[in-house]
Amino acid sequence: MTILEWDGYQAAGTKAQTTKGIVFGKDYTDEFGANGLAYSLITNDSQAIGKVRTGSKFDVLHPCAENFKDYVDGGFVQPWDTSLLPSFANLNPALVKGGQFNGQQYAIPWDWGYGSVIYRTDMVDPADATGWELFWNPKYKGRISMWNGATTNFEIAALKLGFPEMDNLSSDQLDQATQSLIEQKPLNKFLWVSEYTNLQPALTNGDIWIAYSWQDQWVYGREHKPPIPFNFMQPTQGRLGWYCGFMLGKDTANYYHAHKYVESYINHQACLSLTNNFYYGSADATVKLSEISDPLLAKSLSIGDPNVLSDTSKVHLQSWEPNEIAVQTAWEKVTAA
Amino acid sequence: MSAVRPRARRSASILRPGSGLLILPPAVWVLAVLVAPIVLIGLYSVNLKTNLLGVPTAFSTANWKDFLPPGSNPFWDRFKISMTITVAVSVITVVAAYPLAYFLAFVAGKRRYALLMVLLAPFFTSYLLRVIAWQVILNNHGVFNSLLWDLGLRPHGDGIPWLIYSKFSVGLVLFYSWVPFVAVPMFVVLDTMDRSLIEAAHDLGASRLTAFLRVTFPLSIPGVIAGFVFVLIPTTGEFITPLLVGGPSSFMFGNSIQSFFTDTPNWNYGAVLALWLVAVVLVMLLVFGRYLSTDLEDAAT
Repeated sequence: MTILEWDGYQAAGTKAQTTKGIVFGKDYTDEFGANGLAYSLITNDSQAIGKVRTGSKFDVLHPCAENFKDYVDGGFVQPWDTSLLPSFANLNPALVKGGQFNGQQYAIPWDWGYGSVIYRTDMVDPADATGWELFWNPKYKGRISMWNGATTNFEIAALKLGFPEMDNLSSDQLDQATQSLIEQKPLNKFLWVSEYTNLQPALTNGDIWIAYSWQDQWVYGREHKPPIPFNFMQPTQGRLGWYCGFMLGKDTANYYHAHKYVESYINHQACLSLTNNFYYGSADATVKLSEISDPLLAKSLSIGDPNVLSDTSKVHLQSWEPNEIAVQTAWEKVTAA
Repeated sequence: MSAVRPRARRSASILRPGSGLLILPPAVWVLAVLVAPIVLIGLYSVNLKTNLLGVPTAFSTANWKDFLPPGSNPFWDRFKISMTITVAVSVITVVAAYPLAYFLAFVAGKRRYALLMVLLAPFFTSYLLRVIAWQVILNNHGVFNSLLWDLGLRPHGDGIPWLIYSKFSVGLVLFYSWVPFVAVPMFVVLDTMDRSLIEAAHDLGASRLTAFLRVTFPLSIPGVIAGFVFVLIPTTGEFITPLLVGGPSSFMFGNSIQSFFTDTPNWNYGAVLALWLVAVVLVMLLVFGRYLSTDLEDAAT
């Protein structure tokens, strides 16, 4: 079975999954073994949909909500049979609804979280760390690393520039955001590509003080011995929010295996291990704060309440972009400038 | 008339029944793996094919108009930076490889082929691994900066900012990667050189330097040009090295092409950049190939 997946999310029991305590995917590998699973890793959302558009076939895919519509409209996926997923009933209705198209369940929501600025509190003046504009602060030139994440950087620029619809920029707004990112670019040490081999070592050893990240890096810093003084910013403009889910390849020859595989990710214990290891939220509405190893941390991130994703005073949910091609081309111009 | 006859004989031999078939396999190969992909890329560049969902395929030069004329968009800046890095690396590599080739050809004696193998030995490992090894050496907490800290030459924790993720690091790793390969064609030319010409120069009173400047170096120019082209052409489209040790301002033109075909897939725009690069490489081949073919003909006679 071929799976389009983000690095770190490989099933427990596969050689690629080395994080202790992970149990998502374990039920599947216990029953069928790990040898039949082949992963193709996602670098960013644009690259993931690009792989599929250019002919790569997958049995199971794990894209994020902003591209669900692209996979459905492109005819790359088929609806799930939710009756084959016993844990489906436990999933948060709001997230479940986000995976429905034409009255059918095309995406099984699983993980959600935030994107924000992570910074070293021992290096960055707290007075400077108020919002997304920290990426543009020349005081930290050479200590910043944004993600080579194409469209995400335009969302960040749009929030910094105060545009109301970060995923639906007008032509003029796109030009302004492009110019703003071109001005920001020289402040980066590098644009990180891999969270674990690029970003994490540079943040840990102090090469980089300020970066775009998800909350798992903050948790990594807290659990590191000795702890690394990170803060995961709540920018004045709000964090980015995201949720992702599993989709079923249109021409899969592993229809029932795919359902078994996804059930092994959405069952209660699997969802709990997602939260306890990465402090991402899961779609499982039955996870209680008392079950999470650090309830205070979970509470501070509003884990257990995915409705926070629709609270626009705190979070801006990354959503489908009608002018995605123009934004991607603009990003290439930023990197080329 | 006698000079014409061999040409006539060659023409006749080509027309001999069946002999033309010999050219078929390489012709089919070139058409299939070189011409056909370029034609395909050409179709993408004018939107007669597309990888973009919902974009109709109809002839359009919009992407060409966006890319041309020179200087109208950031890809031209990237192209200029790339060519500067490429030419600088090619020149420095040739200059550095020449003494190496000279040593192997004129000083190393019977050990020259063994030493050539030693020189090439690291290149039997993966290119990717070797570039990553440079990351370990150059990064802020890497081998080089740690050495400077241990020697007290820089404050602890304060790495040289331009050592990695810079044009310098890209140039350095490309230089390292190409030196041995550039040395090989120069070594071949120097090694097969008619030594009696150098002896004659000495007999006529030329010093070692004069003999080198007036005899050895001019005769080795085909190898120098071959070595220069060996670096110039492939580094023009380089993208792996800048991706791993380059910073946001030292990405090369090849990175933009690679990105349009993978990270932010817009093959139609990427095709325009790719065709531009093909055209640049063709011009390079025409310019340098002329010198190379002339010298090869000279060598043959």
